[in-house]
Amino acid sequence: MRFVRNLIPLSVILTLGVGVACKKPAPAPAEPAQPAAVAAPPVTDDGAQKRAEEDAARRKAEADAEAARKAAAAAEMARQNKFKADAEAALKDINFEFDKSDIREVDKAKLQAIADFLKANPDAKIQIAGNCDERGTVEYNLALGERRAHAAQNYLTGLGVAEARLSSISYGKEKPKVDGHDEESWLINRNCQFTLQ
Amino acid sequence: MKKLVLGLLFVLAPLLAAQAPPSQEVVLSASAGSKLGIALPYPKAAGLPEATVSSEFQEVLSKDLDEAGPFAVIQKDLPAATDPSSYQAWVETGTQWLLTTTINRSAGGDLEVMIQVVDVMAAQGRNVKPVVSKRYTGKDGALRRIAHKISDDLMARLTGEQGVASTRIVFVREAGRGIKEIYQVDRDGANAFPLTAFKSLTISPTVAADGRLAYVTYKGGAPEIWGQRVPGGPHVKLYPPSGKVEGHCFCPSWSPDGKRLALVQGDRRGNTDIVVLDVASGRVRRLTDSNCINTDPSWNPAGTQLAFTSDREGGPQVFLMGDDGSNVRRLTQEGTYNGSPAWSPSGSMIAYVSRFEGKFDLFVYKLGEGKSYQITTGIASSESPSWSPDERRIVFTSGSRGGMQLYTTDLSGNTLHKLVSLDGCQSPKWTRSR
Repeated sequence: MRFVRNLIPLSVILTLGVGVACKKPAPAPAEPAQPAAVAAPPVTDDGAQKRAEEDAARRKAEADAEAARKAAAAAEMARQNKFKADAEAALKDINFEFDKSDIREVDKAKLQAIADFLKANPDAKIQIAGNCDERGTVEYNLALGERRAHAAQNYLTGLGVAEARLSSISYGKEKPKVDGHDEESWLINRNCQFTLQ
Repeated sequence: MKKLVLGLLFVLAPLLAAQAPPSQEVVLSASAGSKLGIALPYPKAAGLPEATVSSEFQEVLSKDLDEAGPFAVIQKDLPAATDPSSYQAWVETGTQWLLTTTINRSAGGDLEVMIQVVDVMAAQGRNVKPVVSKRYTGKDGALRRIAHKISDDLMARLTGEQGVASTRIVFVREAGRGIKEIYQVDRDGANAFPLTAFKSLTISPTVAADGRLAYVTYKGGAPEIWGQRVPGGPHVKLYPPSGKVEGHCFCPSWSPDGKRLALVQGDRRGNTDIVVLDVASGRVRRLTDSNCINTDPSWNPAGTQLAFTSDREGGPQVFLMGDDGSNVRRLTQEGTYNGSPAWSPSGSMIAYVSRFEGKFDLFVYKLGEGKSYQITTGIASSESPSWSPDERRIVFTSGSRGGMQLYTTDLSGNTLHKLVSLDGCQSPKWTRSR
C-alpha cells in the first residue's frame, strides 16, 4: 500500500520529465526564424491585449455596475434617511388634559404634519398608541387610552388619511414615557405616540 | 362619609352566629368581646430537622391563627407538660385551647401530622374528649400547606365558617420596563412566584372558582384575553376569535360559575362596552351600548348582576346592571372619580376606590343601608380592592407612586398588614382556589 502510494508521485515526476525532455528540441528549428520569435510576441501580445481590453472592459463594467449599485444604495439610503427624518419630524406626541381625550388646539398642527407626512409617503402606515398618567385606575385608563388613540385616529381620517393606514392601541397607564410623579411628567405621559408600522 | 366602625362587629358576628358542624356542639365559652386563647406547644417531631419544623410549621400556623381574627396565640411562659395535670398551668397563661401536634416523616418522605385540641378551661384537669382530633398527610414540602389547613379547620370548628389561611392572591408585577407578568403569593406572603412568562405586558388577572386563570396579554402586539379552558390546563387565547376585530379587549372577569367571562370591548369610535363571552360556545352578548367608557366589570355572587365603572354622566362612577344589561342604576353618588368596584362574596357590599386630592382611598358601599363607608385614609394612594373569601378583609395596592405594594385591611381600616415586600404590584385577586 505504502509502495503504491509512493509510486504515484514518482510516475508524475517521470511524466513531467518526459514532457520537458520532449519540448527541449523545439527551440532549435525555431532558431532561424528569430524575428518570427520576435513577431511571436505580438501574436501573444495581441491575445494579451485582447484579454487586457476584455479585462478592462469587464472591470469598467463591474466598476460602473458597482458605482450604480452604490449610487442606488446611496439614493435609497438618502431616501430612507429622508423618510426617517421626515417621520421623526412629523410623528410627534400629542398630549391631553387629565381624564380628557379631546384634541387640544396646540396639537392640531402636529396632527396636520402627520397627515402631510402620510400623504407624501403613500406606503407609510402608523400605529397610534394612547397613554395615560398614573393617577387613574388601571382599568379605566386602558379605556381612556383607547379613546385617546381613536380621537387622534378620527382627527387624521378627517384630514383625509385613509383609515387602513392607521391602527390604534391603548396601553393605559402601563407604559409611562417618563418616570416622574409631578404635573410635568403626568402631562408628558398623557399622550398619543405615533410609530411607523 | 362615615368611618366604618364595624371592625369589631365583623370579628364578633361570626362568633355570635357560630354554626358548628351538626354533630358537634359549638365550642365557645370565651366571653363575648375577647379572643379565644390558643397555645401551640412545640410539636413532637420525628424525621425532620427542628429548623424545618419551626419555619415551615410552627411559625406558619402561629401566624395563620393570629391573623385569622378570633384567636389570641399564647406565646409566653408556657408549661412544659401537656397532660391533664398541667391544664391549670395552661389556663393561668390565658389558654383555652391547647393544641398538641405530632409530626412524623417517613424515610420515603411521607408526612403525617396529628393534632389534638383540648379545651383546658372546660377540662378542669380531667381527661376529656378533644375538641378537635385530626390527622393530615402529605409529601415532603407539604408542611406549610398542612399548617394552613389546620388553621382553617380550627377556624371552622370555632366559628362555623371556613378560614382563609389556605388561600392565595393572584396579582400583576412589573418584571422590567414595559414587562409585566401574572404572579401569585400565599395569603401569608410566602410562595411568591410568576404564573406567566411572556416577557410582555400581561395584566388584569381574574381567577375562576376552580382556579382557572384569565388575563390580558399584549404578547402578540394588540391586547388579547388569554387563560385556561380547563383547571390546570394550558394557557390559550380565549378572545377575540382569530380574524379582524374592530376594537381592543380588556378587563376579563370570570362569572361565579366559571362559564362566562365579562370583558371590555372597544368599538370603532373609541368607546368601550361591557360584553359577556360564553367561553364554551364563543357567543358574545353586549350589555352596554353607549357613547362612553364602560369598564371594570365585577359579578355579584349569584352571577345575575354586574357592577362596572362608566363615565356616561361625566366623570367615572360605579353603576350596577343585570347580566343582560337591563336595569342600569348609579351606585356612587359622592366624589368626582370612583371606580374599581368589587362585589363582596356574600353580595351585601361593594368595595371601590374614590379619588380625592390626587390619590385614591378604599370605600365600601353597603347595599342594605345604601351608604358608603371610607376604609383607608392614608397619605398613600390605595387602589384595586379585592375581597377575602371570608369577607373579613380586603387586599389592595398602596404605596408611593411607582412603588405600589400589596396590603390587606380589615373593614375598620385599623389592622393593616403588608402582604409581601414586593414593589411594582397591581390588580390583586384573592381566591380560595389552588
